[in-house]
Amino acid sequence: MKFRCERDVLVETLGTAGRAVSTRSGLPGLSGVQVELVGDQFTVTGSDLDLTITTTIEVSGESDGKAVIPARLAADIVKALSPGAVELSTEDDTLRISAGRSDFSIRLITSDEFPKITDIDAKPVELDAEQLAHALKQVVLAASSDDSRPILTGVLLAAEGDSLRLVATDSYRLAMKDIDGIELLSEGEQVLVPSRALGELHRILANGKSITLRLGEKEASFTVEGVTLTTRLIEGDFPNYRGLVPDHHPNTLTVNRTALLDALRRVKLMAPQEGTPVRIEMNEHGMELVAVTADVGTAREVVESSYVGEDLVVAFNPRFLLEGLEVAPGDDVTLLTTDELKPALIKSVGFDNYLYLLMPVRVS
Amino acid sequence: MCSTEATVLHADLDAFYASVEQRDHPHLRGRPTAVGRGVILAASYEARAMGVRTAMNGAAARRLCPGLLTVDPRMEAYSEASRQVFQIFDDTTPLVEPISIDEAFLDVSGLGRLVGTPESIATRLRSRVANEVGLAISVGVARTKFLAKVASGVCKPDGLLVVEPEKELHFLHPLPVRSLWGVGVKTAEKLNEKGLTTVGQVAGLDESVLVSILGPSAGRHLHALSHNQDPRRVVTGKRRSSIGSQQALRNRPRSLTEVKAILLELVDRVTHRLRDGNRVGRTATLRFRFGDFSRDTRSHTFHEATASTATFLDVAQSLLEERESEIRQRRLTLLGFTINNLSPADAVQQALPFETRSSPLLDSAVDTVRGRYGLSSIGRATLVGQEPGVRVPLLPDVDR
Repeated sequence: MKFRCERDVLVETLGTAGRAVSTRSGLPGLSGVQVELVGDQFTVTGSDLDLTITTTIEVSGESDGKAVIPARLAADIVKALSPGAVELSTEDDTLRISAGRSDFSIRLITSDEFPKITDIDAKPVELDAEQLAHALKQVVLAASSDDSRPILTGVLLAAEGDSLRLVATDSYRLAMKDIDGIELLSEGEQVLVPSRALGELHRILANGKSITLRLGEKEASFTVEGVTLTTRLIEGDFPNYRGLVPDHHPNTLTVNRTALLDALRRVKLMAPQEGTPVRIEMNEHGMELVAVTADVGTAREVVESSYVGEDLVVAFNPRFLLEGLEVAPGDDVTLLTTDELKPALIKSVGFDNYLYLLMPVRVS
Repeated sequence: MCSTEATVLHADLDAFYASVEQRDHPHLRGRPTAVGRGVILAASYEARAMGVRTAMNGAAARRLCPGLLTVDPRMEAYSEASRQVFQIFDDTTPLVEPISIDEAFLDVSGLGRLVGTPESIATRLRSRVANEVGLAISVGVARTKFLAKVASGVCKPDGLLVVEPEKELHFLHPLPVRSLWGVGVKTAEKLNEKGLTTVGQVAGLDESVLVSILGPSAGRHLHALSHNQDPRRVVTGKRRSSIGSQQALRNRPRSLTEVKAILLELVDRVTHRLRDGNRVGRTATLRFRFGDFSRDTRSHTFHEATASTATFLDVAQSLLEERESEIRQRRLTLLGFTINNLSPADAVQQALPFETRSSPLLDSAVDTVRGRYGLSSIGRATLVGQEPGVRVPLLPDVDR
């Protein structure tokens, strides 16, 4: 294998595929990326078995070939070279990287240790990249990062009428978004995609306008502008979220989203420790935010709002509240509550396709 | 820092479980007695004289001591006795630091002019425990916690030993290195290899030499202790940092299902205590001891603290399943479950109710029934018909 390429293009390519490379894997083959040159098409593949990222770029090819190279080291070397053209070539068990007066020879990794990547045999579906990126930003944050509950580390993709529904929950809050006009799955069908893969997908979505999605039985792949991300699907049953979203709430608070966010960020200063709740006191005059840390102090702020319902005080983890409000669409939001212990619902006024369900903190 | 007077008491009940049994069963008095039949949980001094030790297998103990009388443990009786003794501690001084169910540090500085010298306080404490609870307690008195604990160990059973400040090193230096806090079998071996057998010999070395033998942290620690430098104060009201329970198991093969049932009971009990203390916890730890006496622990930390039995059970079972092959091959002889990272339950993030069985309502209903009718009044259907296990309460949890 031998080719020439611009340094910056190569840096990005190695970096993108390298994000799937596991840093903790015991398998030496997985600490490398697989590189392959066919004509002028140079392809880099990184994988940790759960997640695979493949990126293809155009280079000036001289001779075809395939090898597995140390991911981190190769990326660090290319990044450190002076700008301009870089030449990569392999001979026997060595990769040579040269640019200007720099010349590196590094040992290849045995290529038979690299996992076999197979294409998914499924009908491709085109999605709008920006729309999907927006939906991912609203939903992925609610997924759990706790590996002891693998189901909750996934984001549910399900057919809902003529929409694609995305749902994630870490068991304390739940985010749900419907993307209208996408018929990806048949009614009743659903898949669970690891949130880590969707987080990576979100990063590469910025590169393109359109994304091609293929859903297999055990895997799904997403292709944007020469980058393909393939992820294993999570097996198991997602919690029955439908039963959790109450269809009736006696209490409705309506408030400007930005005003509430600003006030919350201020009041949260008095709840610096994770776990210290912020209280929302609601009555006929509207709402007031309160945070108290024993031996430190108190913060209170009245936020202009309208409230219909019983006088109520509900406490929330301020981080969960902030994260939900930050990604909610629109200018005004409603906070729908039943009592101080039942799930509270945040919805955007004028937007029916997003909701954020949040469990209160019980204060005694 | 430490005071200039010997005002720290280390009070330690002698052969605690066995002494409670001898107190309640006159026919056991003066005779070698052991608590626990399969595994010895505690041995009376008469039994210890014959070589019977805690954690020994029952058959081995009977071979050493043919006249050994064994009784089933009565944990509730021990808890009650412990509660009475701690009541006497609390009457003695406001500065009580519990170490476990049967020992505590007491700081009596400042009481001198009011109620007498530390020695007279310790004497009165011992006679109150003897008269009111019917148990023997040994008390060591010294300027530091470390030395007070060494002193109570030296004067056992039923003893009192005051180490006056000017005689500290005189007392400490002839003792074997194992007396130093933190020196276990392995460290003692390393020291013995260098010809160091007494605390005095260790004290004679430069700190740098000890560091080169034992590493920086242990080296500095032992250097300080051998010169009786122990700045730890008696800390009262220190909220317990963990709650746990463990169960010794007879050394025989067990199926995973059987071990899971034992785990269920432990988790059920510990989470009940957690809620009872109005606490929540973030970390679950499983402890294993195997037939070859090797030990292992596995733990998991949640993002949010909880007191839910179902949540802890889920994670405890998956931690157990990870160890399935070892349990089968190496024979489990002890299973422990501990919840660490405790915090007050005054602000508890509620979880979405998508697992109906983890409903906080179920936990609180069970707790209410137990509060009214006792611990065994309600339990898990899975456990019906299981052989009742031996539970070892720890108060608070200590690493063992």
